[in-house]
Amino acid sequence: MDRRNFLKVGALTGASATLTSCGNPEHQMIRFIPEEEIQGGIAIWKPSVCPLCATGCGMLVRVVDGEAEVIRNGKKGLIQMGLARKLEGNPAHPISQGKLCARGQAAIQVTYHPDRIIHPLKRNGVRGSGPFQEITWDEAITILLSQIDGLAAAGSQNALAFLTKPMRGQRQTLISRFMQSYGAPPPMNFDPFGDQVLRRANAHSFGHEQLPTFDIAQSRYVISFGADFLGSWNAAVPQSAGYGEMRQGKPGHRGKFVQVEARMSQTGANADEWVPVNPGTEGVLALGMAHVIVNLKLRPGNLAALAEYTPAEVAKRTGVKTERIERLAREFAENSPAIAIIGGTPLAHTNGMFSALAVNTLNTLSGSMGKPGGISFMPQPGKDAPPGTSFNKFVTEQLASPESPVKALLLHEANPVYGSPSAWRVREALSKIPFIASFGSFIDETSILADLVLPDHSFLESWVDDVPESGAGIAVASVAPPAMRPIHQTRAMPDVLLDVSHRLAKPLQQPLPWKTYEEMLKDSFESISPGADTWNNAIANGGVWGKTGEPGVRPLVPLFPRYSEPEFDGEGVQFPFHFLPYKSQSFLDGSLAHLPWLQELPDVLSTAMWSSWVEVHTETARGLGLVQGDVVEISSTQGKIQAPVLLSPGIAPNVIAMPMGQGHETFTRFASGRGANPISILAPMAEPETGALAWAATRVRISKVDAASKLILFAGGMREHPDDHR
Amino acid sequence: MPHKWGMAVDLDRCTGCEACVVACHSENNIPTVGETEAARGRAMHWIRIERYWEGEFPEVQVKFRPVLCQQCDEAPCEPVCPTYASSHSEDGLNSQIYNRCIGTRYCANACGYNVRFFNFFTPSWDKPLHLQLNPDVSVREGGVMEKCTFCIQRINAGKVSAGIEQRPLLDGEIQPACVQSCTANALVFGDLADPDSTVSKLSKSPRGTKLLEELGTKPKVTYLQRGSWDDSQKR
Amino acid sequence: MTRKSDSSLTDDLLRPVFETSTKFYVTAAVLAVIVAAGFGTWFYQIYWGMGVTGDNWPVFWGLHETNFVFWIGISHAGTLISAILRIVNATWRRPVTRCAEVITAFALMIGAMFPLVHLGRPWLAWWLIPYPSERLLWPNYRSPLVWDFFAINTYLLSSLLFLALPAIPDFALIRDRTTGWRNWLYGKLSLGWQGTPRQWHRLESAMHMMALAIIPIAISVHTIVSFDFSMAVVPMWHSTIFGPYFVVGAIFSGIAALNIVMAIVRRMLHLEKYLQPIHFRNLGKLMLAMSLLWGYFVFNERLVTWYGNTPHEMAALWSTQLGRYSPMFWTMIFCNFILPFPLLTIRKLRSITATVIASCGVVIGMWLERFLIIVPSLSYKGTSYSWGTYLPRWPEIVIFGASFAAMALLYLLFSKFIPIISIWEMKVGEHSNIKVAAQVQESEAAGELV
Repeated sequence: MDRRNFLKVGALTGASATLTSCGNPEHQMIRFIPEEEIQGGIAIWKPSVCPLCATGCGMLVRVVDGEAEVIRNGKKGLIQMGLARKLEGNPAHPISQGKLCARGQAAIQVTYHPDRIIHPLKRNGVRGSGPFQEITWDEAITILLSQIDGLAAAGSQNALAFLTKPMRGQRQTLISRFMQSYGAPPPMNFDPFGDQVLRRANAHSFGHEQLPTFDIAQSRYVISFGADFLGSWNAAVPQSAGYGEMRQGKPGHRGKFVQVEARMSQTGANADEWVPVNPGTEGVLALGMAHVIVNLKLRPGNLAALAEYTPAEVAKRTGVKTERIERLAREFAENSPAIAIIGGTPLAHTNGMFSALAVNTLNTLSGSMGKPGGISFMPQPGKDAPPGTSFNKFVTEQLASPESPVKALLLHEANPVYGSPSAWRVREALSKIPFIASFGSFIDETSILADLVLPDHSFLESWVDDVPESGAGIAVASVAPPAMRPIHQTRAMPDVLLDVSHRLAKPLQQPLPWKTYEEMLKDSFESISPGADTWNNAIANGGVWGKTGEPGVRPLVPLFPRYSEPEFDGEGVQFPFHFLPYKSQSFLDGSLAHLPWLQELPDVLSTAMWSSWVEVHTETARGLGLVQGDVVEISSTQGKIQAPVLLSPGIAPNVIAMPMGQGHETFTRFASGRGANPISILAPMAEPETGALAWAATRVRISKVDAASKLILFAGGMREHPDDHR
Repeated sequence: MPHKWGMAVDLDRCTGCEACVVACHSENNIPTVGETEAARGRAMHWIRIERYWEGEFPEVQVKFRPVLCQQCDEAPCEPVCPTYASSHSEDGLNSQIYNRCIGTRYCANACGYNVRFFNFFTPSWDKPLHLQLNPDVSVREGGVMEKCTFCIQRINAGKVSAGIEQRPLLDGEIQPACVQSCTANALVFGDLADPDSTVSKLSKSPRGTKLLEELGTKPKVTYLQRGSWDDSQKR
Repeated sequence: MTRKSDSSLTDDLLRPVFETSTKFYVTAAVLAVIVAAGFGTWFYQIYWGMGVTGDNWPVFWGLHETNFVFWIGISHAGTLISAILRIVNATWRRPVTRCAEVITAFALMIGAMFPLVHLGRPWLAWWLIPYPSERLLWPNYRSPLVWDFFAINTYLLSSLLFLALPAIPDFALIRDRTTGWRNWLYGKLSLGWQGTPRQWHRLESAMHMMALAIIPIAISVHTIVSFDFSMAVVPMWHSTIFGPYFVVGAIFSGIAALNIVMAIVRRMLHLEKYLQPIHFRNLGKLMLAMSLLWGYFVFNERLVTWYGNTPHEMAALWSTQLGRYSPMFWTMIFCNFILPFPLLTIRKLRSITATVIASCGVVIGMWLERFLIIVPSLSYKGTSYSWGTYLPRWPEIVIFGASFAAMALLYLLFSKFIPIISIWEMKVGEHSNIKVAAQVQESEAAGELV
């Protein structure tokens, strides 16, 4: 080749080499014009609300500019935009008080999750097996409208169903109003691990169907019956803040904390005294203490009603020694203000109502109800939503008839296929429904059954609002604008619902007057206290809060607990162990298993990461010939799962416990196909009054199986002495 | 007068919630190593909650102890680093200077607290998780050692702010990520060179101890011992 | 005494240099493949990261570091034995010295590779060289690793010198017997050696000075390597015994390696006449002495630790005596102490084969010792929550194997390059140099020469 051609070729290859040697194919991408004003390198802080659990911690989001790969007008390109980098508690927010729990800190990974659904999807194959095809929002809304219009046209508005986790605030209002206006039944709430029993008990005892707020900071004595209140139960963040103050917030005054449970929880690990009890007898212990208090005349009360709860009798039933019962009772009465908390496992027995009412009795006796250092109920403005449709009833009806009663289901923030016992046959019930649309951000066991996916924004990209149920002594209504612009082709669910409501062929009976969710929120906040300032201040601060005129605790003639014996599924030698699934520190009920930081977070007691495990008492395990890490099969009457064994000194010998959260079939790359799901083998036991799942009432047996152990522990030794090591 | 950054950890307040652990990951661009590598013992938790069982069922107890780099005044990790990657700063911090690290891992062996972590591979983030990375903190490459820095980026930012506003730093103004997120307010950070700071006062508390004090490392983290019910009885 | 004529001696010892068998080529090829696999694995490790090894938190050192200490230890026999034997004028040393010196040189080179292999960012290893850098930093002279850098390089340089100097007359010998490129090459290497009395005198003085100098250098090198451990406050590392313990262990393992190498060389190169049972017996005696001395140090270390009962050391101790690492520990005791003893003391059992078996045991035992120094202490350091375990993975094992192949290959190639037994020294031993002859006769009378 001659020199000229050589140079030409060289230039060509040189140029392409230069381009490719730029390394990053992103350098060949289009760069879009920024859609917002943002200063380079300067962090700004925006308010938001954490959605990962029911507490509703107000947060501040640190936003710094960055380059994100986005799709605009069907083209991939880069855009400079404000990106959330770090979440912190909002110091002004009465619930979070400037703090966030481990899960709240991890919440930012929801927005940036690599498996997030980034545009609307339509099912393109057999239901439940994937695959989905990408469609535009116009197409998606058209499909949804046609379904909803179709039902209205056939006069079957009541065949539309909406399934959601319980929300408070305007989202719930919007969903409820939409369904009601349309002529459909109220939305179904799916929350089997949500302490419905306690809410009902509080309604009976105190007139508030609500979880209580505990002023732990000023309390001198806290006895918790099974409530993991420093970890996964109720408003853990403010409860922890209060706990810190109770311990070392006042020089010379250090509150005592007693935990009563059959399995050492993260909360129980902090107790001054840890009291194991026979499962289902927590209420008996509470009334035993009440008996002693009244008997010793430490408080006025009706001894006759408590007659059968003598220390001796209580000792027999609970396994707690009489001296201890008497001492705890005396301490409870003599160290005022004193709080008794009940939550979690004790409520998940068939006699949960009894136990809850028993503890309410104890609290009433202590005289701390409605006082500083005691128990109160947060004012709940705007409680106008009618009671929801029962999820269990829905499932039963679905299974009962060959023709699915529900013709169209809208899914939002709920994964019942994963989060229900197999015995409920939820997948079967849902599979019958002709049309399912999901607003979720991820494909999980339930949303994989959808025909249409209309992906919601993540909370950082949304207008968020919440009315916390517990955790502060004042009324709180949180609200915040989006902390960042959406990075994907998603749309806010409320906006979609509003849009659909305006475009229905048959308009709604009571049309929803707002074009966007922002308008709806503005309206609702201005109705709390009128004035342009209210709204502007609210969205700047992350909400409004303050004392209201509402009385805290309404004095009622409390319903006295009628004793009921806990029932268990699986008796005797066949099923020798009580099976206690518990909300894990990382994943709660399993809805957070997709966040990698949480998968790698060592569970504080077991130190396990990326794993499932079952806790077995050390001696019990030895008796069964099990060493740490051996895989066992756990069988109930409903099915079996496998998990590696973790030896624990902090669990009763006849109890085994397993964290919820793993065992997802389908839930992003980080959670799919990992571990086992204890919820699946639970027996369909229920608390009779509320119908709530009695998830602690299952008994199981375990046997060693030959399988590779996948127990990954972060820690070496379990004890501090040098001669105990892994 | 140069600062002397230190911390107090109140073991009576710590609930073992591990908010600090995740906050630290979020703030400091710590890689998530994944299941396989975690099984190989390469998880990198700059702050960890040590958990110790005591006793046997039913008289069983658990103790939690947050452990992070103690920023020792006589740091055993400093003399052994051949390239001064582990060195002492004027503010009393043990600085880990990533660019100097050639990865001998001697510092990690010398550290009696096992608070140093190594990038066995060059970290990667499944997009778009990389958008979360804190632009104020470098992303380390494979072969480099890392550990808690007391959130030096926040310390520097605090100093810069105070400098711009021409005022001294206030006690509690600078908060490392763990301190900021601790739900029970168990972690306190501040200037030990300022006798009026909270951390100075706590460091002199009768409840105060130092971890592995007998090693002679002069750690700058004071652990305040858990109380007992008997303490509570005294008014 | 059997007198071998000069020319037959020279012929015998030069034969391997000039004649190459098929076996040689095959062996060299096989070894080269293993060595290449080792380098390939190393590059794989550099490319992907140290994560391909078994290192983890908190056991950050494992097989690579074990091999480092092991090979530096092996390097001690050579020069140390050669130097000490020269100084005390042990004439039986003559066929042994170059064998030994070569081991030192190559073991050092291989050992010195491992600090590079174990680095997280080895492409920056040159920062250990003290030059006025753009980073405005010198290497941290407080770090034992920097001391290693200087000590090992010093030892390497002096060992090469100690090897090269007595090679000069042999280079000259080959020069005089060859033509062509060999003549040119050996001409250059022999530095114009003519064998004049003045040159001989200079050579002898230089050797004597080197022998004196290299002993403290050798002792300091392994002491400094021991400082890598003893200077850190790690359970069972932070002990004053480490300096002498390591040196003794090094000499011990070095003699064992020497025995093995000599036995192989003797068989492969048909040097039965020159490497005789007496040599193995004498080295065996030295090895036995080292075994006793080593056993004494180990016993001392363990007894004192056990008696002291300091909590932070006991976990590491018990793991080696009864726990996870105890199989390795007791194998080590067997290999280093129990096995050599009868093989080297009982007259009936004594033979070259027995010495070689005992030596193989010692090499294995000493490798285990290095592993047991490093890994259990790191496993049980600090608070018990942070304790961990270690298992090597294939890259470390391949590189470990390749290091042995490299040693064998280098030795093999060296035997082609220069006679493995120093010809002039053998001749000096044989000739009627009055002083030497008198000594020889004395030794004869004492029954020490066959």
